[in-house]
Amino acid sequence: MNAILTMPEMAVTALALGLLVLDLWTPADRKGDLGIAAIGGLALILAGSFLFGAGAPQYAFGGMYVLDGMALFFKRLMLGVGVVALAAALEYSKRFAAGTAEYCALILLAVSGMMWAASANHWALLFVSVELMTVTFYVLVSFERTRMPSLEAGVKYLILGALASAFLVYGVALVFGGTGTLGFAGDSGPGLGTGSVLVRVGLALVLAGLGFKIGMVPCQFWAPDVYQGAPAPTAALLAAGSKAAGFALLLRVLLEAAPDWALEMRPVLMLIAGASILYGNLCAIPQRNLKRLLGYSSIAHAGYMLLGIVVLERAGAAAILFYLAGYACAVLAAFLVAALAFDPGEPEEIPALAGLHRRSPYLAAALALSMISLAGIPPLVGFFGKFLLLKGVVLAAFDSRSFGWLAGVALAGIVTSFYYYFGVVRAIYWSAPAAERPPIAVSRVAGAALGACLVGIVAAGVFPSPLLEAARLAAGALRIP
Amino acid sequence: MQTLFPWLILLLPLAAAALISLFTRPHRDLSARLSIGAIVAGFWLTLLLFALPGAAAQAYETRIPWLAAGGLQIDFGLRIDRLSLLMALVVTAVGGAIHIYSYEYMRGERRFSTYFACLSLFTFAMLGVVFAPNFVQMFFFWELVGVSSYLLIGFWFERPAAADAGLKAFLVNRVGDLGFLLGILLVWSRLGSVHFGELERRLAENPAALGAMATVAGLLIFCGALGKSAQFPLHIWLPDAMEGPTPVSALIHAATMVAAGVYMLARVFFLLAATPHWPAALHFLEGLDALEIIRIIGLFTALMAGLIALQQDDIKRVLAYSTLSQLGYMVMAIGLGQPGPAMFHLATHAGFKALLFLGAGAIILALHHEQDIWRMGGLRRAMPLTFWTFLIATLALCAVPPLGGFYSKESILAHAWHQDKLVFALAWCGSVLTALYMFRLVLVVFGGSPRRPRDAQPHEPSHIATWPMLFLAGLTVLAGGADVEGFLAGGAQGTASLASRLAGPLAHAPFVMLAGLAATGLGFAMAWGLYRGAYRDPLPARWSTLASALRQRLLLDAWYARWIGGSFEALACLASGVDRWIIAGAAVRGVHGSVELTGRLLRLAQTGKVSTYAFALGCGVAALLYWLIR
Repeated sequence: MNAILTMPEMAVTALALGLLVLDLWTPADRKGDLGIAAIGGLALILAGSFLFGAGAPQYAFGGMYVLDGMALFFKRLMLGVGVVALAAALEYSKRFAAGTAEYCALILLAVSGMMWAASANHWALLFVSVELMTVTFYVLVSFERTRMPSLEAGVKYLILGALASAFLVYGVALVFGGTGTLGFAGDSGPGLGTGSVLVRVGLALVLAGLGFKIGMVPCQFWAPDVYQGAPAPTAALLAAGSKAAGFALLLRVLLEAAPDWALEMRPVLMLIAGASILYGNLCAIPQRNLKRLLGYSSIAHAGYMLLGIVVLERAGAAAILFYLAGYACAVLAAFLVAALAFDPGEPEEIPALAGLHRRSPYLAAALALSMISLAGIPPLVGFFGKFLLLKGVVLAAFDSRSFGWLAGVALAGIVTSFYYYFGVVRAIYWSAPAAERPPIAVSRVAGAALGACLVGIVAAGVFPSPLLEAARLAAGALRIP
Repeated sequence: MQTLFPWLILLLPLAAAALISLFTRPHRDLSARLSIGAIVAGFWLTLLLFALPGAAAQAYETRIPWLAAGGLQIDFGLRIDRLSLLMALVVTAVGGAIHIYSYEYMRGERRFSTYFACLSLFTFAMLGVVFAPNFVQMFFFWELVGVSSYLLIGFWFERPAAADAGLKAFLVNRVGDLGFLLGILLVWSRLGSVHFGELERRLAENPAALGAMATVAGLLIFCGALGKSAQFPLHIWLPDAMEGPTPVSALIHAATMVAAGVYMLARVFFLLAATPHWPAALHFLEGLDALEIIRIIGLFTALMAGLIALQQDDIKRVLAYSTLSQLGYMVMAIGLGQPGPAMFHLATHAGFKALLFLGAGAIILALHHEQDIWRMGGLRRAMPLTFWTFLIATLALCAVPPLGGFYSKESILAHAWHQDKLVFALAWCGSVLTALYMFRLVLVVFGGSPRRPRDAQPHEPSHIATWPMLFLAGLTVLAGGADVEGFLAGGAQGTASLASRLAGPLAHAPFVMLAGLAATGLGFAMAWGLYRGAYRDPLPARWSTLASALRQRLLLDAWYARWIGGSFEALACLASGVDRWIIAGAAVRGVHGSVELTGRLLRLAQTGKVSTYAFALGCGVAALLYWLIR
């Protein structure tokens, strides 16, 4: 059975359930303590995850569940993301009439779904973990029931998410029909994809379903609307966590389970990557809403990360892992600031950021740093991630000219993105505010969470080696046949 | 302990700068205390490192791997050896005194906390240069010194002169740094390493490793020092840097920025001393080695600056040109192949020059920001403490025994005597000039009768400012007893008794010593004759052409402004035209317009309707499937 391997996921789920139970006995004015407890618990689990060593892959539930270096990397990433998202939620939930504990518990459940996904080695576990995430997000997105944009975003996410899930489950069914097994091939046996049309079509549908999670073209339409409407902590978790889970699954499916099929689909994947980069960056240019802008930019970043997949090598996978960690730090910081810097009910307009450096120098510096990192300026972590991803593509371009085009498109996208990222920085520091507004008080928890993100952005940019080593180690665990 | 202390010494000022600018800016007092505390702690830690048994005896390094790209491995580390320890001690001791003095001097300043943040950042940058174990790290901190000096020199940026001076310092330094960077790249491409120890080892194994580029590499690296240590022809920024607050002038001129150039030359001396060899294109220079050129530039700077200093009326500018002149001596010592005496002179000069600037600052404060020496006069009675400390520093600068400056300068002169009699003769003339302009300053400022409005009653600054001056005066007096050269050479300490060391110059080179004393005496006599009780400068009346040339700084600044500034103006016009019409007009507007248009068009797809989204998603998946099974 080896169920002990699933301890972290179990612990997170138990924490979520415990939170809901404790909520019954907690007076209304002490609900904040529950959030603190959740943060502490999750941080403890994160610390505990370091008890697991990244040795040879270990299996549980008859091979459905795998614990290898890559799964561990993703789990730690998601736990860290969860801690920061909880801190944001604690701050943001002051706006809710009630439901702090529910909100925190739902975040925990989403995190647990992501963690299951990181270990999925079986089509059924893949689907169940994706659904655990998605269904939780339906509620998380529309949690601000009194605010119309939140409800609208919830409905959009629900309908499009259901559509994507339908593709996913239909694809899984076709693959099962074609191969007669639900397990990923792994080290034993040949990878999928050489076989029947049934399997190939099924895998394409799975790609569409997972593409919805990472927000790639043509499954990207939901991202701007949902990011804009959802509560900021939810959007942060969507951007940093859900996307990471999507990539974890995509890496498993494309590189481990169906490498031959991925090779066949390489031109399409390259097209998707280029289209995502262009679409996200071009659409982001005229945006005035910070969260919507981040939604479009998340599409572009999905495109960048797909560059790591199309090279179909371990180095590309390592670059994705590195990039995901850096992206998580930057985007979490940005959403944290979005949660703190705007008044309740105020739309997150970029011009309203004018004068932020007077209202709170810390928040201003944090948002500026995260934007600069997202734009990929050295010495921040975003630069090094982009460098690694592009390096893989440029090396591949020596063999095939089409990779040269892709690298060109990616570079053009990166240059374009400077325009809107620095538009935000300019709004913070160089525009005159319409009216003088009071300073912003940043609570200790939110400040510490933001600080952790900033340390990540700067430290992993200046000293990339430790994170890079971890990413290489994790990617080394991929069983590429 | 041996690895922890250096890290603390380096990082404490950075922490102070970060804390001040992030958190304690509204609390003036706390900010100043943080900044002062950081450098004073650094000073004690450096002293402890000296005291630790064996710490100073052996060079060692502590490092964190930072970057490995191909064959290039760059660490972020600290190199602790006698040279860096000595320099760190100078920086923290003199810098610390200046920090404390600043507390009094900048008291009424609106951006008091910001000032201390900049000061700490500057200290951090300088210590980074001192402890750098490789060229890359040194260059990084080198540039950081440039940036923070820009912030400090232009601290009163509301005044156009200060803002311009900051910019000038920054730009002139860029010119030198370009050469430095090229030199680093050249050395790296030839020797395959940027690490000082490794470079030295490889060069020792194979002295011809640099090949035909040996001399060029040495000179390019010297370019860095040319900018930072303000040697001719890049010296023009230093006098203008006087526009900064006086403690900043003291810091930049004494212990830190300008010293960085000489320190760097001492650090990479093995590269400068490599076998001279020129590439074929520069064959006509064969026979001239890098050290010879360095020697000539240093000597020329020393003499030129000494001459210009004779006719400056601003108290800080006299001191600025005196710094230039002394830096010339240090560079000349490097050129003579003697980094030890150069570092010795650097150390003693740091003490007494800081003291001179602090004294000047006290006078400027007392006279409500009057800097013209011809409006001072008679300050000996009003400010006795300032007078005596200023006099001690002057005597040290003029190499009067037994002060520190005497031993360091005699050492340089003696080496010059042994190697090249002409260099010695010219350097001796420089000594005469030194005594002349310094005693001119002392006689005019402190002697005679007051030449200022009646109502001004100058008085000594408060204790916070006088303690650092007394501390530095003490250092200046005692520095003669320090065997810096022997320490740097790595000999065991205390081999020669104190007495024999103090009498050393007389025993080793009696002629040089007597000649040096004669130079000082001659300069003093000339100053006494010309300036005792003078109400205005007699020189312009007697030698008007020479005096006006010196007053206009030998027309160098005007020449630079006309030719370099003019040609840049023309280039800038051309670039601006190209930028406005071709780049901004056609390229940027065109690209920007089309990109923006595409963005707006694409946004039309984002209708906000779920049905559109679902339809598009379906179409996408259909296209995917079509591609697969076509």
